[in-house]
Amino acid sequence: MKLTIKHLFFILFSACIISCSSDDSVDKDEEKPTITIQYAGGFPQACAELQKGQTYTFKAKVMDNKALASYSLDLHHNFDHHTHDDQGETCDLNPIKQAVNPFIFMKNYTIEGHQTAYEINISLTIPNDIDSGDYHCSYSVTDATGWQSRTSVDIKIIE
Amino acid sequence: MFHKTLCAWLSFSLCTLSFAQKTFTIEGTVKNAQTQSPIAGVSIIGEGIFAVSADDGSFTLKNVGEGVYTLQATHLGYTPKYFDLEVNGQPENLLVTLSESNTLLQEVQLLGKTKEKLAKEQPLVTVEASKAFMEANRENSLMQTLSKIPGVSTINIGSGQSKPVIRGLGFNRVAVVQNGIKHEAQQWGSDHGLEIDQYGMGAIQIIKGSASFMYGSDAIAGVVNIKPAAAPEEHSFSGEVNLLGESNNNLLGISTGIQARKEKWFYRARLTFRDYGDYKVPTNRINYENYIFELHENHLRNTAGMEANASFSVGYISDHIKSETFFSNVYNKNGFFANAHGLEVRTSSIDYDRSDRDIDLPYHQVNHFKITNNTVITGNKHTLYFETGFQNNQREEHSEPVPHGYMPKPAHSKEREFHKNTFSLNIRDAFQMQKGHSMHAGVNLEFQQNTIDGWGFLIPAFNRFTAGVFAYNQLEINPNLHLQAGLRYDFGFLDTKAHVDWYPSTRTNEDGSTSYIYLQRAQNKQLDFGNMSASVGLSYLQNHTTYKINIGKSFRMPLANELASDGVNYHMYRYERGNIDLDPETSYQLDIDIDHTAELFSVGISPFVNVFDNFIYLNPTPNYFETLQIYEYTQNKVFRMGAEVRASTTLFDNLQVDASMEYVYSRQTSGAKKGFTLPFAPPLSTLLSASYQFKKLLFFKKPQFIVDYRITAAQDEIVPPEEKTAGYQVLNMALMSHFNLFKYDAQCRLKLNNAFDTKYFNHTSFYRLIDVPEAGRNISLSLTIPF
Repeated sequence: MKLTIKHLFFILFSACIISCSSDDSVDKDEEKPTITIQYAGGFPQACAELQKGQTYTFKAKVMDNKALASYSLDLHHNFDHHTHDDQGETCDLNPIKQAVNPFIFMKNYTIEGHQTAYEINISLTIPNDIDSGDYHCSYSVTDATGWQSRTSVDIKIIE
Repeated sequence: MFHKTLCAWLSFSLCTLSFAQKTFTIEGTVKNAQTQSPIAGVSIIGEGIFAVSADDGSFTLKNVGEGVYTLQATHLGYTPKYFDLEVNGQPENLLVTLSESNTLLQEVQLLGKTKEKLAKEQPLVTVEASKAFMEANRENSLMQTLSKIPGVSTINIGSGQSKPVIRGLGFNRVAVVQNGIKHEAQQWGSDHGLEIDQYGMGAIQIIKGSASFMYGSDAIAGVVNIKPAAAPEEHSFSGEVNLLGESNNNLLGISTGIQARKEKWFYRARLTFRDYGDYKVPTNRINYENYIFELHENHLRNTAGMEANASFSVGYISDHIKSETFFSNVYNKNGFFANAHGLEVRTSSIDYDRSDRDIDLPYHQVNHFKITNNTVITGNKHTLYFETGFQNNQREEHSEPVPHGYMPKPAHSKEREFHKNTFSLNIRDAFQMQKGHSMHAGVNLEFQQNTIDGWGFLIPAFNRFTAGVFAYNQLEINPNLHLQAGLRYDFGFLDTKAHVDWYPSTRTNEDGSTSYIYLQRAQNKQLDFGNMSASVGLSYLQNHTTYKINIGKSFRMPLANELASDGVNYHMYRYERGNIDLDPETSYQLDIDIDHTAELFSVGISPFVNVFDNFIYLNPTPNYFETLQIYEYTQNKVFRMGAEVRASTTLFDNLQVDASMEYVYSRQTSGAKKGFTLPFAPPLSTLLSASYQFKKLLFFKKPQFIVDYRITAAQDEIVPPEEKTAGYQVLNMALMSHFNLFKYDAQCRLKLNNAFDTKYFNHTSFYRLIDVPEAGRNISLSLTIPF
């Protein structure tokens, strides 16, 4: 009895050790995609002023080690100064005010064909009937694994 | 041999008798002061006198001449007792009572001898943390205190809150049981702590492994079983005051408890109050993604908090009935780090740095009210256990109202409110079938009602009813070989309530027109679940070595958020989507435990292997909903294994050295994240600790110096959106001592945490995701004065 139990433990224990040492060779993607507007064509740049009624092309570069999947663009007001951008620059914000008819733009896009580099290119017309003032523009991108990167920039919409 | 010795001894003692002039035989009994049960194996030593108590606690002192003797009664696990014995011709019947020790040498130990033996015979892998352990290691929250036990870790948020993690699994995969009733809060959330007062509790039993067959759903990874303190002694009144001060977060805490007992009736009461400021981290700036947050005087702004708890219980003990009713209320209010609300970066006009003690937005407040009754009726062969409970958990999360997406700016700060009522009833019969074979059978019933409020939506309101019937036996095959087998069936019914947004969202229709609709986030759904769980295990005792093997199947019912959430989780800045088709999670686990305890040293190893058929996992998908990444609840196969290794030895009589190591390996073996680990995977970690017991130092009695050195490896096993975490080493030191304070035997502890003010990250901390390091150096002083 004694021996059998001892042996049983020994076998199970060695089984654990062996299975510990044999690591599975699944090729895991542990890298986030990258996103930037800090290049010559990137738009909008920090503290940019956008005019109502004008059409702009929003551009950002995204890259991934494996496969890019989706991206999104979000424009929302920052009249209450609730957030700030990550561009390392501080823009002069207008005084805090109440939103009446703020501009909201939210749209998601997919990147087909497992690309590893891509330039976001969104043509957007700023409507005329919206509140002018401080806005926040944020881009985000995912890769096929589900990693995400974001970047955001403070802008102003003016008359 | 024995007979010869006995003969020799008898003849020798007879000789002695014939020569002695006036000697007496004194009989007596040793009893446990708290339980009044006899204690076997107690050594009673005096000058020329020696006896050891028998199984029924009785002892006989022979050949005692006239005079006054000072005797000492000692037993492992009890405070040694000195008493005077006056022998003047009248043989008297002595009654010696021993109190369970508060100054055990080993910091983690299985209480008492009979309990220790029982634990050895029990095939489940359990660790018991005594009251002494709790006092010696008390940290800011209950789970942080327990995380010194190998295999136990925590998910922390801030300095005052943490939730239990056993071998890498936490949230609803660990059942927390207090006074026999499952503690029900909002334990699914990573920023929710455990609302339990860590003062005034008895021992805590931790089951590492599959325990659904005893505790039902949720006990997949293990159980934290918080037992009530032992009933006070007859005709006694006692109390204690605990004071605590900490330098890092300027914490001031006071807890005071009293207990009294006449003959059969007893009561206890306790009040606890703690208030703390923002905690300090060893850095003055935090880099999160591309953001930089400057910290004012190293304070992690707005992490102050307070806690106020009150509890009262009244009990009755007689020969056949023991019943105690507990009333408790725990109130917590904590701020959250202000620069990032969860993962979203925020700026605010609130002047957070004006004070490090105020609690501004965002914060949460929780009130947990509980009434439980434990009744045990002891019959001839049957013992009936009744546990009844009512819990009311009210949690509010407040943050600055900010518009998001199509949601306009809300009118108030109440982002979320959860209000949960839980009614529980457990009935269990333990009966002796024959000698060495006992059977336990019972039912557990629980009804939960969860309602929601606030402008943010994450989980729907729901009602949930669960019922379980179980039976398990404990069979002594021979005195060294014990078998435990259990079977259980659970039925659960979940009724989720519909939820519709309070604001309209803009939708572009196929024909290009725009409509404004109030989105429905959750639907009325009725779901039912059934599950069988089982466990079988053997324990084998061989001299100083105990072998245990246990295999069990456990399960967990899906939660309302896993089934039906459909909304933005602002804390995590993501869109979470439930899946109504989820099955109950089932897990199979093999546990082994080998322990060798000899006189001078002790070693042990507890490996485990665990397979999940359908682990419920919140999968980050590559897709977006209104520009937020969608996370979806899915079910995958998961393989896990790991082990805890421990060793301890006593050197030069006074130096105790302990080492323990814990490791968990997890892999998702199917699904979208095949090959990845699970979230919050604890890294390989080693704890080395040494404690030196001084003889006497000035007016300090039994002073003890403890050094803990934790070495944690890097965690490179991650899953989106986690970051790899570097390894670290942290040194903690403590000085503990008893001393006389106005005739009371007071105990004090001076503790230094993170001695070198090391900047390190804890992979299982909620704030890890926003790159906030762990708390810096902390000096704490605690004082316990019994009266």
